[in-house]
Amino acid sequence: MTIVNIELYIQSGIVESYVLGLASPGEVAEFEQLLPHFPELKEALSDFEYQLELFAIDHEVPPPPGSRERIEARLRETPSVRPPIHEEKRYRRDASGDYIRVEASSDQIKVHKYWRPTFIVIFILSKILLALAIYYFVEYRHAEKQIRQLEQQMGKKGG
Amino acid sequence: MKDILKKALSAGSVSAMELIYDHYSGMLFSYILQFVPDRTMAGTQLVEIFSLLGPRLPAAFDSQLGVYCWLQIEARKIILEYTSQNVNGQPKVDGSLRGVGSPGIEGRRNAEGYFALLAEAPPEHQWVFQELFVYGRQKEELALQSGKDPDHISRTLRECLFIIRKNLG
Repeated sequence: MTIVNIELYIQSGIVESYVLGLASPGEVAEFEQLLPHFPELKEALSDFEYQLELFAIDHEVPPPPGSRERIEARLRETPSVRPPIHEEKRYRRDASGDYIRVEASSDQIKVHKYWRPTFIVIFILSKILLALAIYYFVEYRHAEKQIRQLEQQMGKKGG
Repeated sequence: MKDILKKALSAGSVSAMELIYDHYSGMLFSYILQFVPDRTMAGTQLVEIFSLLGPRLPAAFDSQLGVYCWLQIEARKIILEYTSQNVNGQPKVDGSLRGVGSPGIEGRRNAEGYFALLAEAPPEHQWVFQELFVYGRQKEELALQSGKDPDHISRTLRECLFIIRKNLG
């Protein structure tokens, strides 16, 4: 196909037909076959796509509320789309029941939110126990000192 | 960026899917309204389209088209399939939702989407574009219905596409 012909081809409206899905299967096959060989065709395609996308951006209408949730629910039922992999899910059970290793993208671990108050309670209890240990240790030393003093006093009286 | 997104979609990342939804859902919903003017039904179609196309999205990156145009074409196929199905002998989308007075040849009543670009086109042009684009009919069918030559229908469509291109630019 010569340059003149490719220009006529573009002018025939094939680019618009192709992008809008109005081209017949034969026209689509021919277009896709020619596309890698003609930069003008590629440029015409990119140009029309760009204009169409700008138009779509200008005229976009927000989808009804809840659409995203409905799609997410539907996609969760689809096996090929799965939730992001977390560290605790590094090992997953495959169909045969054995564990397989899957790639994880983060070095951090995630724990359940209930661990937070548990950690706080453990921390406070450990501080209380430490304070009690110190208190009783000081008391013990004090009592020991008193016993020693009493023993000395009794030794003097006996002597 | 395109490769990263494609890899993430191929790996089944929900986050990548959300990114596509955030970017294209409004554009696609507006596109669907050209076929299904009822918003509730169009919303159902949007859910259906994203649910069906979600697992196939990596293919959009292998296409000769950009992601949005690929989504448009695939969405149209799903809608046409849906609207052509009958429930208990009745079409799922009836004439009142089609926004056209069939079977007569007349212009589009509501100029939404691409029909806004064809607002100044003759009624016959609007009718040809509507029947081919919105209802997926064949040129030969339109030729038979209108009593015109199929070449005339092809020429009319070509003129519609010129008008659209001119008004987009």
